Amino acid sequence: MDSDIILVIVVATALAFDFTNGFHDTANAVATSISTRALAPKTAVTLSAILNFVGAFISIKVAATVASGIVDADLITTTVIFAGLIGAITWNLVTWYFGLPSSSSHALIGGVVGAAFAASGPAAILGGGLLEKVIVPALVAPIVAFLTAGICILITYRMVGRLRPGSVNRGYRRGQIVSASLLSLSHGTNDAQKTMGIITLALIAHGTLEGPSPDPPFWVIVSAASAIALGTYSGGWRIIRTMGSKIYKMDPAQGFAAQGGGAAVLLTASHLGFPLSTTHSITGAVLGAGAAKSLSAVRWGLAGNIAVAWVLTLPAAAAVGAVTYGVSRIFGTGALGPLLISVSLLALITAMFGQRLRHGAPIAPPPPPTPAPADR
Amino acid sequence: MIASVDSAALLELVWAAPLAAIIVVTAWGLVVYGTTRAGEARRNGQSASAALHVAIATVGGALFVAAIVLGLIVTTAKG
Repeated sequence: MDSDIILVIVVATALAFDFTNGFHDTANAVATSISTRALAPKTAVTLSAILNFVGAFISIKVAATVASGIVDADLITTTVIFAGLIGAITWNLVTWYFGLPSSSSHALIGGVVGAAFAASGPAAILGGGLLEKVIVPALVAPIVAFLTAGICILITYRMVGRLRPGSVNRGYRRGQIVSASLLSLSHGTNDAQKTMGIITLALIAHGTLEGPSPDPPFWVIVSAASAIALGTYSGGWRIIRTMGSKIYKMDPAQGFAAQGGGAAVLLTASHLGFPLSTTHSITGAVLGAGAAKSLSAVRWGLAGNIAVAWVLTLPAAAAVGAVTYGVSRIFGTGALGPLLISVSLLALITAMFGQRLRHGAPIAPPPPPTPAPADR
Repeated sequence: MIASVDSAALLELVWAAPLAAIIVVTAWGLVVYGTTRAGEARRNGQSASAALHVAIATVGGALFVAAIVLGLIVTTAKG
């Protein structure tokens, strides 16, 4: 009975994580479109939410890889997964608060690794898997996306650089509607699968599913798709501001190149079953598109803060996951610990959002940017 | 359960993703270039040049749509 209650709590927490993933990573897909006025803020998040939902049904290859290879599945319990999810949600909320784009995928992996470590010691962690699935992709994604977007913007400027800016900007704004859609689709394809994978892992730990890497059941796919779409629709405006205009003020061609480059990297990675971070990919692409035009236009200090958040993601989420597991075990191996922690976290989040709403601060969409002289 | 992200897949990512992006960006660049130049040619009364640039934009548009559809098919096919 207790294990059934824990499973329900884990599934609910996983869907809550999926919601924060959509909320936190909305910026990846829509920030550049909003910043260049290709799309109105609300239209952008609505379009992105719909395509995130659709994208979740495209592939389940990454789901299978997330559910295995990083921690020893024989030592994984539903409580470990629960604690890992709390670690990931906490880190997502902290980085959202500071407006920093960080990887929800790495937060999830970090949380599970920390909880597994607290539960079973170092034997539960598969170092090789961690290196191959987290460390290597974390280095590869931003570099490939940076270079891809950089090459793309150089080609773009070569082709249209001498034409009338007003007409060119209008053309690239239209293109950005497609590239933002593609990016949203790839985000849904890539990220919703991680929640599917973690729920599948919980179902295996509970004994509901059997086999080394079974496919997620259909209800898992539908619920993960819905949660990420709802989170996306809610819109994480703080990170949208950082990605859209704080790193540098981009023009529509740069926005198109960044989105096109990021989407190409993500869709190729999904095709190969390679669990890349959407945040690392699109941030790398945004920096690449900016740096190729002018190195000095990029706010490298902010880029450095983002890089620090990336480095901290895994250990910070792991620490919260480990502490959560430890606190949960104080109440025994039953459902009481996870239940109390869930209620406490929910109360904390409600208080946090309530306070921000009372102060009228930034849960609202950003004001529309002022048109550039060349566009008028 | 050992993770298996093989180096062949990594290498494929490193060349395939930039190639896909370059094709898409070049195709859209042709659309923007063609429509902008066609508009200028029309304003200057150069109908032959306008037709040529409309053709360039059309080819770019077709390539753009084809590249995206192909990309989605490839991604979906192995899912």
